[in-house]
Amino acid sequence: MNCAEFQELLPEILDSGETSESKVHAHSCKECSELYAELREISQAALLLRGVEEPNLRVWNSIEITLRQEGLIRDAALAGPALVPGHSRNWRLAWLVPIAALLVVMTSGIAIFQRNSQPQSIANLTPISTADGGTAEDQEILRAIGERTPTLRATYAADLQNINSYIRDAQDSLKNDPGDEEAQRALMGAYEQRAMVYEMAFERPLP
Amino acid sequence: MTEAGGRQDARISEAEAIERAKLGDSDAFRILYDLHKRRVYSLCLRMTANTAQAEDLTQEAFLQLFRKIGTFRGESAFSTWLHRMAVNVVLMQLRKKNLPVVSLEETLEGEEEAPRKEPGAPDPKLAGSIDRLHLQRALEELPPGYRTIFLLHDVEGYEHNEIAAMINCSIGNSKSQLHKARMKLRSLLKANKTEAAGRR
Repeated sequence: MNCAEFQELLPEILDSGETSESKVHAHSCKECSELYAELREISQAALLLRGVEEPNLRVWNSIEITLRQEGLIRDAALAGPALVPGHSRNWRLAWLVPIAALLVVMTSGIAIFQRNSQPQSIANLTPISTADGGTAEDQEILRAIGERTPTLRATYAADLQNINSYIRDAQDSLKNDPGDEEAQRALMGAYEQRAMVYEMAFERPLP
Repeated sequence: MTEAGGRQDARISEAEAIERAKLGDSDAFRILYDLHKRRVYSLCLRMTANTAQAEDLTQEAFLQLFRKIGTFRGESAFSTWLHRMAVNVVLMQLRKKNLPVVSLEETLEGEEEAPRKEPGAPDPKLAGSIDRLHLQRALEELPPGYRTIFLLHDVEGYEHNEIAAMINCSIGNSKSQLHKARMKLRSLLKANKTEAAGRR
C-alpha cells in the first residue's frame, strides 16, 4: 500500500478500524501515520461538544408561556398531585441571595477589569474554586434544593458540574494563551451561567 | 441519549414525567426540558453559530415536541424522538434561509487540504492538543454544509444512512463530505495553533 492508496481508504479506516495493510503502511510512513492519528483525534474530540451549552433561562420562560397560552399546561388540580413542592419554603433560601448578588457583582467586576486591564490576569483573578465536588456555595445550594425540591436537585447538580467544567476549560486555555479572546468570552459566559443557575435556585421564575 | 445519565434515582423517571406532561403538568414539562435542553441547544448553536437563532430553534423544537407529546407511545426512546425533531427543525430553518445543508463542493474543492502556513514554518502537531474550545472555534469556521455532516456524525452519532435520509443526499456523499469536513477541521486547527504560537 502506498500513500495515495492509504489516504483514499482513510475514511473507511477511520470508521471501521485499521486493516493489516494500512497498519503496515502507517508504521513505515510518518506523514500518513500522523494524518490518521490527527483525524481520529478530531473525531473523538467531537464528543466533547455534545450537550455542553446551557440555553438562556428565557428559552424555558418562552416555552412555558406558550404552553400556557395554548392550554397544554393545566391547573395543578387537574394535572394531579404536584411533582415539585410549592414555593412556600422559599424564605429558607433567603440567605443565599447575597451569594447570588456577589456572583453577579463579581461577574460585572471581571467584565470591567477585562476592559481596563491586561487580559492575561483574568484567569488568575477568578475567585471561584472549581474543584470536582464544586464550591462550598454549590454544596450549600444543592443541599437547600434537595430539601425544597428533591426532584430538581440532580438537574442543578449537573448544571453546576457542567459550568464548573467549562470554567476549568476556559481557565486552562487562558493559562496557555492569556490573550485568547475566545477563552475570555467563554469564561465570562460560564460565570454568567453560574450566576443564573444560582438565581434560578432561589426562585423559579413564573411567566 | 439523555443527559440524565445515572441520576434517575434522584428524581422521577423520564417515563413518569412524560405521562404527567400528557396530563398538562408544568413541572413534568420542566423536568423533560431540563433533561434534554443542553443537548438540543448545543446542536442548534453549533449548526447556526448564532446564539439568538439557537435559542429560537431550541424553543421551537421543544414546543413541537410538547404539542405532540400526547401521541408519544414509547416505541422509540424519547430522547431519539426529541433529537430527531430538533435536527429537523434546524435543517428546515437552514433550508428556509437558503443556507447549504450539503456542502457546495465545487467552491471548496482543494481548499480543505491546504493549511494556512507561513513558508518555512514548522507544521504544528495536533496530537494531544485538541480541546473543546479550539475544536468549537474551528467548527465555527467550517462551511455550513461540512459543519452539518460533522455535527450529525461525529458529535451526535448518527450513521451515514440516517444522515443521508435527513439531508436528502446519498450515503457516499455523506461519507465523502464527512472526510472533507475532518480534513478541513484539521487544517483550521493547525492554522489556529500556529496563529496562537505566533502571539506568544
